[in-house]
Amino acid sequence: MTLSSTPTERVTLNMGPQHPSTHGVLRLELELEGEVVVSCRPVIGYLHRGIEKMAESRTYPQILPYTDRLDYLSSSSNNMAYVQAVEKLLGLEVPERAKYLRVISLELNRIASHLVFLATYGNDVGATTVFLYGMREREMIMDLFTMWAGARLTQSWIRIGGVGADIPDGFVEMAKEFCRILPARLDEYDRLLTGNRIFRVRTEGVGILPPDLGVNYGASGPTLRGSGVAFDVRRAEPYEVYQDLDFEVITQPTCDCMGRYQVRMQEMRQSVRIIEQCLQRLPEGEVRAKVPRVIRPPKGEAYGRVESPRGDFGCYVVSDGSPRPARVRFRAPSFYHLSVLPLMMRGWKVGDAIAILGSIDIVLGEVDR
Amino acid sequence: MIEALRDRFGEAILSAEQVGREARVALAAQTLTEAAAFAKERGFTYPADITAWDAEDELRVVYRLVNLDSGEHLVLTVSVPRSGARLPSLVSIFGGANWPEREIYDLFGVRFEGHPDLRRILLTDDWEGHPLLKGGSS
Repeated sequence: MTLSSTPTERVTLNMGPQHPSTHGVLRLELELEGEVVVSCRPVIGYLHRGIEKMAESRTYPQILPYTDRLDYLSSSSNNMAYVQAVEKLLGLEVPERAKYLRVISLELNRIASHLVFLATYGNDVGATTVFLYGMREREMIMDLFTMWAGARLTQSWIRIGGVGADIPDGFVEMAKEFCRILPARLDEYDRLLTGNRIFRVRTEGVGILPPDLGVNYGASGPTLRGSGVAFDVRRAEPYEVYQDLDFEVITQPTCDCMGRYQVRMQEMRQSVRIIEQCLQRLPEGEVRAKVPRVIRPPKGEAYGRVESPRGDFGCYVVSDGSPRPARVRFRAPSFYHLSVLPLMMRGWKVGDAIAILGSIDIVLGEVDR
Repeated sequence: MIEALRDRFGEAILSAEQVGREARVALAAQTLTEAAAFAKERGFTYPADITAWDAEDELRVVYRLVNLDSGEHLVLTVSVPRSGARLPSLVSIFGGANWPEREIYDLFGVRFEGHPDLRRILLTDDWEGHPLLKGGSS
């Protein structure tokens, strides 16, 4: 009997909810024909904590720490989207120094998140060394966060009206030192991983996301820019001081895992550029506007929108005029990326499924909320 | 965009207001599908967010569509009853409507007709009620 005439039957394989490559608790129901993925059904909700429901019984400032727990690899973008919506409702003007500090925080968080991506993605496709390197550099950012927020991940440092506290002595020097060190380290990663033959075979041409399909499914961030669409909220709807900063929106035309990987790698260099500009221009002054003790925004609605490391992160807040919001809704980029994943998986092998899932860089905290 | 919608749909546009780059339009449920397709033809190709909220006397389902070239937002709002509500699904127009519609069904109980796979998404399949309705989940 030849191999091609060997009868096969479809098998359903549950990948997760406990599986290292799912980066959290996610289950993929894979329908397999031999090694080939015929269909993929993501099952989510394992990390649902009802954050949006809880927000309805909390005051506006009390909601902030919950937002840290959405995309926990980038708490400052969550903080920012929420705070932006509330500040729009209040018509609050934020001091210039706070705006610069916020951007520094957001970009450091972007680098930290992309480093975790680099580390875990390397691990996913069998390059274990990169895991340790990515985590090593990220630790320098964690030290900076600890200096200003006292926390590594759950910062809640971007507050309504500004930031929690001014940066401590020595922070600027440490941040500059980090910006000096990182680009050389990125060169090292490129030599170690980007050009690596095995890595390229695992990622090039794998997991195609056509640009139109991506837009139609609400994909954004590096996932969409890896398909050549130059959409970046920082450029499309600049917030804080992004309109005054010089940086490139990175895209790759390849639509594959490698393209998405490359976008993140190059974005880290852009983030370094942004942070350096902010450190150089950082004005003196207050870091927090006068905010009433009890925040009671006028009746209405507002939408906060930021470019998180994963993409278009939104926050929709409806106020009924009371100290508690009528509705707080978080638009998480990973949620949309997971919804288009089945179309990217179809026809690839199980091993590729790991590489494709890793390439959209999801965080289940924001998916499940 | 508001004028274009008024020209095309007339009375079905219940109210409209321009706030910065955002056009906020309340419309009748029966024109939703046509209005969404109309917007997509005019460059609003990106379904930024689809969600709902409980305004106590009714539910508001909110569709935020973005034109990635011009940066304009079009926010379509449809009001539906708090229980037993049905709306046409927009999945055939926007793939990105699939999961958000499941979520609105899960948390608010709105049924989307024509949805290919209307199941709960965040809560377990045997969950009773719809928790984002105010005053207990019924």
